[in-house]
Amino acid sequence: MAYILQQLLSKSAKRFPEKTAVWARGRSISYRELDERSNQLAHLLVQSGVRKGDRVGIFFPKCVESVISMFAVVKAGGVYVPLDPAAPVDRVGYIISNCGIRVLITQDEKRRSLDAATRESLDRCVIVDKARESGNGTGVVPWSALAEFSAVDAPQVTLTETDLAYILYTSGSTGRPKGVMLTHQNALTFVEWCADKFQITHEDRLSNHAPLHFDLSVFDVYNAIEAGATVYLVTEEIALFPTTLQKFMETHQISIWYSVPSALVLLLLHADLKAEKLPRLRTILFAGEVFPMKYLKQLAELLPAVELDNLYGPTETNVCTYYRVDRERLASMDKLPIGIACENTEVFAVNDQDEIVTGPGQSGELYVRGPSVTYGYWGDVEKTQKMVVPNRFQPNFEEKIYRTGDLVTLAEDGNYYFVGRRDSMIKSRGYRIELGEIESALLSHPGVREAAAIAVPDEVVGNRIKAVVAAHQPDTLDATALQQHCAARIPKYMIPELIEFRSTLPKTSTGKVDRVGLSRDSQPIAV
Amino acid sequence: MTTKETTVKDQVRQFVTEELAAAKGVTVVSDDESLIENGVVDSLGIFRLVTFLEENFGVKIGDEEISAENLQSVNMIEQLVLSKGKK
Repeated sequence: MAYILQQLLSKSAKRFPEKTAVWARGRSISYRELDERSNQLAHLLVQSGVRKGDRVGIFFPKCVESVISMFAVVKAGGVYVPLDPAAPVDRVGYIISNCGIRVLITQDEKRRSLDAATRESLDRCVIVDKARESGNGTGVVPWSALAEFSAVDAPQVTLTETDLAYILYTSGSTGRPKGVMLTHQNALTFVEWCADKFQITHEDRLSNHAPLHFDLSVFDVYNAIEAGATVYLVTEEIALFPTTLQKFMETHQISIWYSVPSALVLLLLHADLKAEKLPRLRTILFAGEVFPMKYLKQLAELLPAVELDNLYGPTETNVCTYYRVDRERLASMDKLPIGIACENTEVFAVNDQDEIVTGPGQSGELYVRGPSVTYGYWGDVEKTQKMVVPNRFQPNFEEKIYRTGDLVTLAEDGNYYFVGRRDSMIKSRGYRIELGEIESALLSHPGVREAAAIAVPDEVVGNRIKAVVAAHQPDTLDATALQQHCAARIPKYMIPELIEFRSTLPKTSTGKVDRVGLSRDSQPIAV
Repeated sequence: MTTKETTVKDQVRQFVTEELAAAKGVTVVSDDESLIENGVVDSLGIFRLVTFLEENFGVKIGDEEISAENLQSVNMIEQLVLSKGKK
């Protein structure tokens, strides 16, 4: 049994050395190559100063080198931090500084896009594409330098399953993203559960639709490697175009698909999914947001032999509950449950009286305990103490449990159902978005006095975002300028599509911004 | 370049800049720049663009034509529209 992630690769590299492990952008690498290249890169990282527990950034659009880099960092004893290649420079710079990244694996162009202070904070950049000849500066190493290092084994480091493996940054309510720390054990608890539950074999062909900084990709990459299967990475030029995506599924004869529901809805609406063209497709997993029932029923009808599973869990627990779609029940269902706890995980709902909910129909906040639960947020003790709390429901030993902030109802059939959020976090295309982070970006503009970000429910992407803003001086601001201001601070999927200006924002009796009133009477977003 | 070509490109550029790029905080879009790489189009933006092209130019764009090859840049979108007009 593996206790650290790289053991999954060494095991499969021994069993299937010449089999394709990863395919991306028309290129593929075998298990042997993946093992050897990641050994070499691990040695280069150690030579670059990476020691056990050090954070290493991975900052380039996904390709086979992404997977090499993930394994290389953990083989070097480090902790990898996937950085969104499309994120604003300011946000990437914040993350690099927040978790103290000194070594970055990146592209020449991406390195140049960083601000000077961030570039100077880095000891070394390993450049995956060809580094330009001139002006590279010190500390820039081309990918070709890997050839100088041993491919046969990884550096000697002592790791246990309780060491960190990676940090995933997610939207933070106070205006800055927060880094969720995940250990090898956190990841493997989920990977091993999936391997058993979905019976993944070396004959499977997995897709990777989610970006690598998004926790859905943990399944795609590590479960493929665990089984000796092949993972096919979906890049933006494919993901944006439903027909292209459909052809990708057909060409590579994907057998296990995992994505946010909105990707599947776009395939249903704008592509031509046919069961006979996808004869090997056997399992579709989805997570990240609520699947609209109308479309789930269409998907089930279109692909009658495919098993459908709804996975639920915040990044802090990876996945903690699941619901296997019961096709006989589906027609009469009007809401999809998030299901029951995964094995080796316990979940329970806690009501306002701080009691564990036991009876059907009762609601509460969902708590999670078990080996998949995060240690907390990098460098943020306060936020960690708020969310990863001592288990007050058993007195015998010290342990931590995670409060999800999600309100759920326990139903008669034993399944949990998602009801809503305790705070103002929303989902759009499966991305977690704290409305407070958007408001902080708006308020950081000197002309803005008040700002409220509002989620507008949308059947396809979950939510779209608009904002209502009051300026210090009337008529001094326009929406485009504010959107541009936001683009320098938050990812594009968080920028309000529409910004409405008012002289002042309406307040509730307690003096807070009246979000409910605003979402009711503000301008609609154009379809 | 004929007047018609200039008009199609101008209208496409205007829609891309004002309706798609502005909302993503992008102010300048060159005609051969990839709208995918610069993040100007997202999964909803693609279909807003297609609806605009169909309504504005009276052309029909099939699902299989909605691809990076046809819609990646202002120049490519112009080519797609012109190729339809010639049929």
